[in-house]
Amino acid sequence: MVQVENSGSYTIRFRFKKMGSLQYVSHLDLVRTMHKIVVRSRLPLKYTEGFNPKPKMVFAAPLSIGTESLCEFLDLRLSERVDESVALEALNRNMTEEMQAVEAYYTDTKFTDLRWLSYTVSMKTAGASDELCERINAALSSDVIEIEKKTKSGIKPVNIRPLIKSADAFFDGEQIRIVCLLSADPSEFLNPEYMVKYLRESVGVLSDPCLINEYYSILREEAYTADMQKFR
Amino acid sequence: MTNNEISSVLKSVTKPGRYIGGEYNAIKKDKAAVTCRFAFCFPDTYEIGMSNLGVRILYETLNRNPDVWCERVYAPWTDMQEKMEEYSIPLAAVESGDPLSEFGIVAFSLQYELCYTAALNMMKLAGYPLFASERDEDAPVFIAGGPCVYNPEPVADFFDLINIGEGEEVLSEIAELYVKMKKDGSYTKTAFLREASHIEGVYIPSLYDVSYNEDGTIAAFAPKYPDVPAKIKKRIVADLDKAPYPEKLVMPYIETVHDRIVLEVYRGCIRGCRFCQAGMVYRPIREKSPDTLCKLAKCLYENTGYDEISLISLSISDYSRLPELTDKLLSWTDDEHVSLSLPSLRVDSFSDELMKRVSSVRTGGLTFAPEAGTQRLRDVINKNVTEDDLMRSVGIAFRGGKSGVKLYFMNGLPTETLEDIEGIADLAQKVVYEYYKLPKPERPRGVSVTISVACFVPKPFTPFQWEAQDSYESLVEKQRHLAECITDKKIRYTYHDAKVSRVEAILARGDRRVGKAIARAVELGANLEAWDEFFDYDRWMQSFADAGLDPDFYTTRGFGEDEILPWDMIDIGVTKAFLLRERKNAYAEKTTPSCAEQCSGCGANKLGGKNRWCK
Repeated sequence: MVQVENSGSYTIRFRFKKMGSLQYVSHLDLVRTMHKIVVRSRLPLKYTEGFNPKPKMVFAAPLSIGTESLCEFLDLRLSERVDESVALEALNRNMTEEMQAVEAYYTDTKFTDLRWLSYTVSMKTAGASDELCERINAALSSDVIEIEKKTKSGIKPVNIRPLIKSADAFFDGEQIRIVCLLSADPSEFLNPEYMVKYLRESVGVLSDPCLINEYYSILREEAYTADMQKFR
Repeated sequence: MTNNEISSVLKSVTKPGRYIGGEYNAIKKDKAAVTCRFAFCFPDTYEIGMSNLGVRILYETLNRNPDVWCERVYAPWTDMQEKMEEYSIPLAAVESGDPLSEFGIVAFSLQYELCYTAALNMMKLAGYPLFASERDEDAPVFIAGGPCVYNPEPVADFFDLINIGEGEEVLSEIAELYVKMKKDGSYTKTAFLREASHIEGVYIPSLYDVSYNEDGTIAAFAPKYPDVPAKIKKRIVADLDKAPYPEKLVMPYIETVHDRIVLEVYRGCIRGCRFCQAGMVYRPIREKSPDTLCKLAKCLYENTGYDEISLISLSISDYSRLPELTDKLLSWTDDEHVSLSLPSLRVDSFSDELMKRVSSVRTGGLTFAPEAGTQRLRDVINKNVTEDDLMRSVGIAFRGGKSGVKLYFMNGLPTETLEDIEGIADLAQKVVYEYYKLPKPERPRGVSVTISVACFVPKPFTPFQWEAQDSYESLVEKQRHLAECITDKKIRYTYHDAKVSRVEAILARGDRRVGKAIARAVELGANLEAWDEFFDYDRWMQSFADAGLDPDFYTTRGFGEDEILPWDMIDIGVTKAFLLRERKNAYAEKTTPSCAEQCSGCGANKLGGKNRWCK
């Protein structure tokens, strides 16, 4: 696409899912992959300035390896306003089944408005029962939940209780499901892996270190604003 | 293993993205509907394998045949291999997840001698005996190809079929023969291999006998049957402009080593440097037209989304239509934010014009390869560049704003003396002075000159194929001596491990007996040796000893000009007579002009094809 000097600037937002084997692609690799996807889509992109221009895009909350998601957001800067369904189709045509955009729209809400993320953590663990769920719920509702968090200045003990808005464990007959709402505020982001780690250490779920007969999976489902409206 | 168990394994290894497949443009077919299941095995990790554009192109073109399903297999990393051994997970193809036992043909691309053990390790992980003679009728046909197999003998006992030369057409022909014989009911492995031996470029090791003299040299090498060719002619693609365009290239999710389009501009090299195997084995020189290249580049760009195009050849600046090509490419690459790079440049054809075009590139520095430190030695190896050429080129580079210059050299070259080694340091120092010749305001910030010195390995099909490799002690002494000669802090000096070069030499120049040592090394745990951390010299020495071989026989022993060499049965076009002439010229310190200047009668022209310079 030829970049016209005085081209406009439009931000189109995509909501997409990242499922199945794609949970093993890191966020960094996702960013690199998305650069190529948008180029293949032939959408009228805007590029960053400087020595190493890349298509202008921003992702919302990063996703860890091992977490699937129905709720990923990408803001893509365009030089022309493109019809939403055309943009959606253009992007999806260049991706596989496991990563598809479900919605494309123009908006001026910011990713900083995204404050809470809901997850379902599923566990196939020894001793899965209603009683185990009660113990999990008790552990997650205590005032202090201390974990060792990796920060830029080293490993620090952090109380993550305030970062759990709600958590409810129930047993569906086969697996333990924990439906929870965790903080997505960038300065206080809670990765659900920390919650799983805490439960392994304090409640004793998933006690097999090799996790062959036991396993867990995490699904990111929905995003919310500070006043609990669905983030869009 | 259930999906959840696999999931747990994936979560416990590094870079799980290597094993997941499911990439954009990965090809999935109905296995019941294809006659030939073809596994393309790359004996290194996914990131390395997926960087090889040639293999991704072969994958796409092989799959155009509806009777063939070509899938990919990569070497697992050590942590994944441990899990595979612990849970009895066999080696599997990325697309289907099926083990190699479900494939009719398993093809290994051998890019580098130190990958041999990784390839055999994959065979082992797949549950197969390493030696072809020990595998039964039901086992897949194991094929090897790639730049290393011009001397196929060290790995000849492991493979049923080896394809010599360019693989694009011959691999399809091999797959087609397999399909035909399966469909008409005539297929047995033996019958298939016998038929395949008639295809040009195909070498069936089991159809030849080799015997040895008392002194260890080869006594005779001959086919067992009259219909099997005594000499195997390498395969070339006659007209590179007619090669099919890859439209849908499989795209990795994870970062690979080369995250860019690698555009092969032409094959072969006009220069005839006497140490260079590639320059000889890829003759005759065949160029792609700028139109073809531009169309191909655009097609690849639109189908991949890569933002960098690298133009490669053995000597890109010798491409006869370089300005036309760069102009054509630049007409759209700048607008699309795609950068153009030319990684290797000859000092005697580097110009202001080329620099201007290369300036549109983001590379930090430029690379040149003088290879030897004195004009005398450069004449011996026929690297026809002068000190003036080098200074002029680096001057252009510095004036054009590039502050980093990398220079490649070798040590251990034939007729080399310590004076030649000292010449390397002199040249590097002169390059630094060239920087300071520029008036201060014109100098780019912070000059750095890096010299990288490799150890010479006498390669098959070069005028130096008879040379003895310099001994380990001598190589190390020269490396040390060079380090002492370099005093300027602006010069960085790196060198290759001479132990690695010694093993490379054995694997490159060996005969069939070397296979026993390779198998032993794999038994002792050799794997992924292209990675520094896994190369184990002592294990190799142990393996040679256990196989009853003397490493010096293949390295520091010069081969006799009348000796039967392990690779003599391969015809690469270039004749032995030419190589011998060039060897004599080397010792006489006489240079030979390039193909562009004057034909030297190397013999490659008899292979035909749409060649550029042959008379």
